[in-house]
Amino acid sequence: MNAHNQPKHDTTHGELHAEMAEAFDTTAMATETTLLNPRFYTTDFDEMDRIDVTPVRAEWDKLLQQMKSDPNKGHFKKNADWDDVDWQGMDPALRAEFIDFLVSSCTAEFSGCVLYKEMKRRGTNADICELFSYMSRDEARHAGFINDALREAGVAVNLGFLTKAKKYTYFRPKFIYYATYLSEKIGYARYITIYRHLEAHPEHRFHPIFKWFREWCNDEFSHGEAFALLMRTDPKLTQSFANKLWIRFFLTAVYSTMWVRDHARVDFHNALGVDIDWYDQEVYRKTSTIARQVFPVELDIDHPRWIPGLRRMDAAMRDMDKAKRQGGIAGWINHKTASARAALAFAGLYLIPVKHMTPPANVRLEPSY
Amino acid sequence: MGLITKVKEQVPCTVEVSHRFESLHAHVRFNNGAVVHPGDEVLVHGAPVMAAYGEVIVEDRTATITRASWLERQWTRLTGDLEFMELCEFSFSEEVTL
Repeated sequence: MNAHNQPKHDTTHGELHAEMAEAFDTTAMATETTLLNPRFYTTDFDEMDRIDVTPVRAEWDKLLQQMKSDPNKGHFKKNADWDDVDWQGMDPALRAEFIDFLVSSCTAEFSGCVLYKEMKRRGTNADICELFSYMSRDEARHAGFINDALREAGVAVNLGFLTKAKKYTYFRPKFIYYATYLSEKIGYARYITIYRHLEAHPEHRFHPIFKWFREWCNDEFSHGEAFALLMRTDPKLTQSFANKLWIRFFLTAVYSTMWVRDHARVDFHNALGVDIDWYDQEVYRKTSTIARQVFPVELDIDHPRWIPGLRRMDAAMRDMDKAKRQGGIAGWINHKTASARAALAFAGLYLIPVKHMTPPANVRLEPSY
Repeated sequence: MGLITKVKEQVPCTVEVSHRFESLHAHVRFNNGAVVHPGDEVLVHGAPVMAAYGEVIVEDRTATITRASWLERQWTRLTGDLEFMELCEFSFSEEVTL
């Protein structure tokens, strides 16, 4: 889940920064303040209440039992493995990108926590409410853990957003399933790929938080499992013609966005010793393999048009950013031109023939990478 | 609900902000069971709830729910889905340059 760091409604980031910096920060070390600004959503809660997990009852109960037992309860604690971080000596460009990573991840966990809590509170379906209470618990725990890393870096997180006006937008439940399923599984694939890479190359581990990635991503994995089961309760969600097109759309949008964002963070990946092209393809491969459990289509990431299409999309997004900074009429024209190129690149990726899959009878998977 | 007019409601609420290592969260609960619909806007009154590190604050407050007009509600239902990318997590912000 991605939320904006920039307050949209009533105050600018700068105003709020000034307003809050003194009032909030009680730690002497904090040098900057980041306002967490999650978005707020509603959905069709009646539809969610009508979900009947009977078709997947055995697997559902097993998963919920595992989540209830909370295997990661003791994991998110700092111990001797949490070595000192030399924030002062860190290259400023790397520091900026790493802070962006921590803040974005913290905001995402936090927004997930708010969304899941809202679903738990609004629903009346006992199965669904139980699931969302566990997921909300996990996300809040992850957010707290990242927040602590941010504090060490001298960044104070500000939760003052509650008293700012918040507009509630709306997603149909199926959009929440597709997007969060994919987000949780891609999160697993991203974290485990970095974890395994750093296991082999510990000299690139520039911050101890990466040591926690394995257990962390196991939470993401089981959240994804829950959404996979939810999608199995209603075959139309993954089998109808229109929904297959939606799934293909989601996969293309999420994969291409990931490519663009990762390629904008060169210093972060250099420090990890990770080749971004390789990393992204590896994450797609793992995610696609996992997603066979429920999605009937799979993007062909080895197609000759795939990487060139992603590169075109990336170049167009960079030009859009440049044009935005340029401003004026020329900037406006350049921005429109670059947007059109991005849209074309996206359409090109979307139209690459997909592989058709038949999801297995048994949905459940265990993290195995 | 008016076609284009908005209605404001004052509702009592409880805010809970946790700024601890174990859990970083912030929630608002409407004590009278009021429900928020697509396009509605919620404003919790009073000073920002500032939990210092290690602190959990639970406070009773008043909130104003500005109900969306019928038209706005339909519009939000129709177009909300298009913002789905916000539900996805990418590790990094959308800024191309930091």
